[in-house]
Amino acid sequence: MTQTASAAKKTAGAKAGTGSTARKTSGPRKARTKKKQGQAYPFTAIVGQEEMKLSLILNIIDPRIGGVLVMGHRGTGKSTTVRALAEVLPMIERIKDDVYNRTVPEYLEAEKPKQGRKALTPEDMTVEDIPVPVVDLPLGATEDRVCGTIDIEQALTSGVKAFEPGLLAQSNRGFLYIDEVNLLDDHLVDVLLDVAASGRNVVEREGISIRHPARFVLVGSGNPEEGELRPQLLDRFGLHARIITITDVAKRVEIVKRRHEYDDDHQAFLKKWSREQKKLQKKILNAKELLPEVTMPDDVLTDVARLCMQLGIDGHRGELTITRTAHAYAAFSGDKEVTMDHVRQIAGLALRHRLRKDPLETMDPGEKIDRELAKVLGEAEEV
Amino acid sequence: MIAFTDIVGMDLAKQALMLLAVDPSLGGVVIPAAVGSGKSTLARAFADILPEDTPFVELPLNVTEDRLIGGVDLEATLAKGERVVQHGVLSKAHGGVLYVDSLSLLDSSAVSHIMDAMSRGAVLVEREGLSEVHESEFMLIGTYDPSDGDVRMGLLDRIGMIVPFTTQNDYRARKLIVNCVLGKNGSEDTEDELKMLKGLIEAAKEQLPHVSMTQEQMKGLIQSAVSLGVEGNRADIFAVRAAKASAALAQRTDVDEDDLKLALKLVLVPRATRMPEQEEEMMEDMPPEEEMPPDTPETEDQDAPDDNSTDPDEEEEQEETPDMIEELMMEAVETELPDNIMNISLAAKKKSRSGSRGEALNNRRGRFVRSQEGEMRSGKVAIIPTLISAAPWQESRKKERKKKYGKVNTALIINKEDVRIKKFRDKSGTLYIFMVDASGSMALNRMRQAKGAVSHLLQNAYVHRDQVSLISFRGKEAQLLLPPSQSVDRAKRELDVLPTGGGTPLASALFLGLETARQAKTKGVSQVMFVVITDGRGNISLKSLYEKDAPKATKEEIEEELQGLSATIFAEGVASVVIDTQMNYLSRGEAPKLAEKLGGRYFYLPNAKAEEIAMAALS
Repeated sequence: MTQTASAAKKTAGAKAGTGSTARKTSGPRKARTKKKQGQAYPFTAIVGQEEMKLSLILNIIDPRIGGVLVMGHRGTGKSTTVRALAEVLPMIERIKDDVYNRTVPEYLEAEKPKQGRKALTPEDMTVEDIPVPVVDLPLGATEDRVCGTIDIEQALTSGVKAFEPGLLAQSNRGFLYIDEVNLLDDHLVDVLLDVAASGRNVVEREGISIRHPARFVLVGSGNPEEGELRPQLLDRFGLHARIITITDVAKRVEIVKRRHEYDDDHQAFLKKWSREQKKLQKKILNAKELLPEVTMPDDVLTDVARLCMQLGIDGHRGELTITRTAHAYAAFSGDKEVTMDHVRQIAGLALRHRLRKDPLETMDPGEKIDRELAKVLGEAEEV
Repeated sequence: MIAFTDIVGMDLAKQALMLLAVDPSLGGVVIPAAVGSGKSTLARAFADILPEDTPFVELPLNVTEDRLIGGVDLEATLAKGERVVQHGVLSKAHGGVLYVDSLSLLDSSAVSHIMDAMSRGAVLVEREGLSEVHESEFMLIGTYDPSDGDVRMGLLDRIGMIVPFTTQNDYRARKLIVNCVLGKNGSEDTEDELKMLKGLIEAAKEQLPHVSMTQEQMKGLIQSAVSLGVEGNRADIFAVRAAKASAALAQRTDVDEDDLKLALKLVLVPRATRMPEQEEEMMEDMPPEEEMPPDTPETEDQDAPDDNSTDPDEEEEQEETPDMIEELMMEAVETELPDNIMNISLAAKKKSRSGSRGEALNNRRGRFVRSQEGEMRSGKVAIIPTLISAAPWQESRKKERKKKYGKVNTALIINKEDVRIKKFRDKSGTLYIFMVDASGSMALNRMRQAKGAVSHLLQNAYVHRDQVSLISFRGKEAQLLLPPSQSVDRAKRELDVLPTGGGTPLASALFLGLETARQAKTKGVSQVMFVVITDGRGNISLKSLYEKDAPKATKEEIEEELQGLSATIFAEGVASVVIDTQMNYLSRGEAPKLAEKLGGRYFYLPNAKAEEIAMAALS
């Protein structure tokens, strides 16, 4: 769990949303036993699995890409990589101690002044910088903890209906990670689909009525052998990274060695990699700054549209995702103009899960995308 | 109580447990063994060789999610007026052992939670208003009888050592076991032995940080993992640790041949997905390592702060495995593979024919997801949500009551409308067992239809929670090609190569289907549906499987067998659909008869498309 999560706990109940009933602030809350887990394995020390790393990075650069689904063999570092992400994320500014991580404008917009009161101005606000939150949604979570519910302790002791925000609140403007996402309960999937589509969480239960922003980058991982993902949820993910067991012995030796080194002495290992971590963080930050300047020429756009058409992709989400991702990739490469080369690098990630599934199709979706891409670019001899 | 040192036989299992005691980061030991082999006795005796006060928690098979993960302790909460947290079984095992008997019968949501705790070293509790992290680092000891079914691969992957499957056959050993159980061993000896063993393990723990492994040895182990097709990286790490722990137990600082052999046997070979001799062609099939985009972090990896010795590029040149390790591997594989590995990874196919199992664990096997308003009697009351909904009204209700009666006796006033009922979700829906006639000339066609139908069913979002299994029958005996699964990928892979032609052992298929159905039911599948795709003419009897020299069964005998089996299937509540693929209108009406026997529906679909079959099964 991240720092923000615990920060949110401390102030849970305070300033609870724009809702009507739950306005009273709580007294000081009892500190809960929330032990921070040891620092994660460094992102940059992860060997191979470039597809997954790249798609996570692109989502940091542009959260509108819509998240990543990482599917693949067990024991290949899926969750290690996602959990390592927190350390390379940039900082964001939020209203101090705000459980929903809102920006000043968001806050002002939501907390309309009461009648007769002076309107709040940005000057009244104190802000703070926090790292982009990464919130872990465990499979055993119940709906009330995901969406938030009334704070039982306060309700029992003082009869106050205070809203206790859930994981969706904590993940606003951050990442929401679900390991074994293909095993997630149907009911929670419904909640997620709903919130992901609207960007806000609406709670109407136990006599409280709250709505708060919940825009997050959805990251899921799992092993396809354990079960399929609901198609609607699959479609929600911007990118789909595939991950397979590395068969190169040297690389595997390296993985084992680094793991042992890390286990032997966390601190020393983290220190050894801190330069790399900072370098990557800087690179991501630069890309984020460059992103608004990146443009895509019309002919590239046309080619992208043709590619999606030839692959028979329904709807426009495919085109939108591939375009955004290509922009982010160009920015990450330090380029201001998107070329078809950029598109080529990320087309598989953006489209793989959007191809219509044919039960008897044996060709890998990635290959199919490459083949169509070559055709669009006029590179391929007709097949 | 039988002590660790008293247990006879199961040497490899004992060795594995000792390695684990030396290095708990090996994660655990799985012991597959038949009933009565003393596996659970051994697992429980493991506590003997651990330091005193090490937690040893046994996980009951019917554990609820609340108890597993933890939650609010209701009694204490009410008494104290503030939230009191109750730790779950996973957290209670922290720093010690979590023992699961019959690991393969554990329900899948419990397995998921155990997996999650193992990979995190902690349990995240996000339930009923609670948000906590409980430490949960434990060694998992799991025993199971392979005839009960498989343990989920994802779980096995997180457990360091898997003891090869053996049945205890040695007569003398059995006798000794019995003697031990009866307590006929000198107890003083036992105590001394235990003390010695504990000392040995303590010494090994101290030795462990000083054990080193050469670069060659490590490469050798990993090369073996690659050639055995071991998935993921965890096994590599476990293998290295196991070898080092073994060296530490022998008070050496260098890893030697025996250590490597032991690591191969306990860690890598049981995870093999293919035989090493297929290596060359398989390697070509492997997709090449992905090309790195020019500007990804990989390029940064190269100039990473690195001691030179670990630069991957340098090692590229000396690709071959050191001969010694290759020999070791072949030796380990030869001795272990034919019997043992098959038993582990293909346990489902080798199931005993012993027939019925114990009763299914039923009651609330679903998973508690949410609560909703409801009548007290209509289900299980969700206490916390009920309290939550009652809480805000306490003050006003008390006032009201005071006004009415003058005094208030109860601390808490709960009205009918506060009651919240737990809403469970049934864990799994229907299991569709496809039985496809792979005999005769039209087999290929039927197989293709079945494959399509299977994929179709699995991809249908509507049947999200359903599972599909596939049995093919031809020649003498039916074969379980796909154990119950939800994965399209897996189904496709398993169905890709299928031999056809030969006799029609229909009875064998029904029998196998019945066993699969029974097993699935113990794991919480609520409904089973047989989809039999055939022309209905069974001509090989079940009896011929068991009695080698039995005379060829007559038509009547086969008929009788089918009749009996069908009746049992029907009686056990399995629904059936028979899909007749007989092209000839003059067919002898065998398939409709089969449908009748099974009490199922009959479809005549000589040119059935995959979708039609899927629809028939769903209807």
